[in-house]
Amino acid sequence: MTGTATPFRRLLAVEARKLVDTRSGTALALALVVLVVAAVAVRGAVAGPELQRLITTAGIGSGTLLPVLGILTMTGEWSHRTALTTFTLEPRRGRVLAAKCLPALAAAVAACPLAVLAAVPATAVAAAAQGVPAVWEVDPAALLGWTGVNVLLVAEGLAMGALLLNAPAAIVICLASPMAWAAVGRLGATGATLAEWLDLNTTTGPLMSGGLSGDGAVRLAVSVLVWIVVPMAAGAARVVRKDVR
Amino acid sequence: MIEFSRVVKSYGGVRALDDVSFTVEAGSVTGFLGPNGAGKSTAMRILVGLCRPTSGSATVLGRPYAELDAPGARVGVLLDAGAWHPGRTGREVLTLGAMTLGLPGSRVDEVLDLVGLTAREARRRVGGYSLGMRQRLGVGHALLGRPRALVLDEPANGLDPQGIRWMRGLLRGLSEEGCAILLSSHLLHEVEQVADRIVMIGRGRILAQGTVAELGRGRGLEQVFLELTATTDRSPA
Repeated sequence: MTGTATPFRRLLAVEARKLVDTRSGTALALALVVLVVAAVAVRGAVAGPELQRLITTAGIGSGTLLPVLGILTMTGEWSHRTALTTFTLEPRRGRVLAAKCLPALAAAVAACPLAVLAAVPATAVAAAAQGVPAVWEVDPAALLGWTGVNVLLVAEGLAMGALLLNAPAAIVICLASPMAWAAVGRLGATGATLAEWLDLNTTTGPLMSGGLSGDGAVRLAVSVLVWIVVPMAAGAARVVRKDVR
Repeated sequence: MIEFSRVVKSYGGVRALDDVSFTVEAGSVTGFLGPNGAGKSTAMRILVGLCRPTSGSATVLGRPYAELDAPGARVGVLLDAGAWHPGRTGREVLTLGAMTLGLPGSRVDEVLDLVGLTAREARRRVGGYSLGMRQRLGVGHALLGRPRALVLDEPANGLDPQGIRWMRGLLRGLSEEGCAILLSSHLLHEVEQVADRIVMIGRGRILAQGTVAELGRGRGLEQVFLELTATTDRSPA
């Protein structure tokens, strides 16, 4: 194609704005923040003042909602048929998809400082309330790993959303897969091996704890290929070629 | 200028468009007339690059739409006044469009004024809009970039009589400024009052095209339209 394209930063600004300019978008963003803060606060009250543990507790909330954020980012234009307008204003659809991915991935990265921000006062308060000394040690590798897992979760949502272009189906697949894998893992040796290599929840475990080995990295790469890279590539190819109706 | 050249679109074995060719000159309004399901929307989607033709080609301002510089600013498009996110306000819909096209926020106010949506209406969510208001919003969205060509699919649907008169005046004014306008409708009366030329389509084929006077000669335009579309409607597949 010839012709000058819309500057990418403009598309980025528009797609970021679309994430929060509707009630449902704002509600999802708020729910994400509230769940992260609430998980940290409750854990602080129950488990005691350990900063590291409180920070990663935020994953209970973000782990569920981040994939949903990724999915809705990709499917929204199709459920409301606004793809008609979006892809008319910018016919280079691949650039629109890229502009959609970045704000959602940025939200995944932002979940980490948000969790730290919630966990520091929660640790202090828990220490004061329980009368025990606070444990402030934090393993940077684990924090980085946790952020990495958040990014992968959003990426999985983006990929499934792009592949299926149907929010309910993609949400069911992303949220039910941990249970499905748990069942597969119990199906004898073959099932256990499959889960070890293909279940993102299992393969991201070492990353989460900050102890990713060479062997673990290979398994992680395989599951990322299957659940993120391949569906994203297939979904993007489909969206770019699809007749928009 | 808008040009369709031997456009064919097949879905499976069915030809939704069959050898469609016509031209809309700059400074003129062409009415794209045909019963529901005749292929008008498909043709318009092919024109703006949302669907691929099976064969043939369509161009706007001399090039395929997707190859234009800043196509969204140079060609105004309204394909479906129902396809807005119900949770966005009218102003937000226009703001997103203006941001994409790199236009200042003041253009949103100008356009709201142009299509007769008040500041209060613009603050409401589109989900609560009447079809007429959605049409006005859609026409406003199409006019954001001061386009040289306009593609409007059934823009008069849902408009009240005042709205239809307003739309007629707006389109006349734009065509006098040199804009090439293609608008579709399944209602003859809407089209014949504003169009310079008419292209009649049925079952994906062009049935007749020419000026309103040429087509209506002798029998009247309505008779021509009914005869042409009746045969295509009832003929066996």
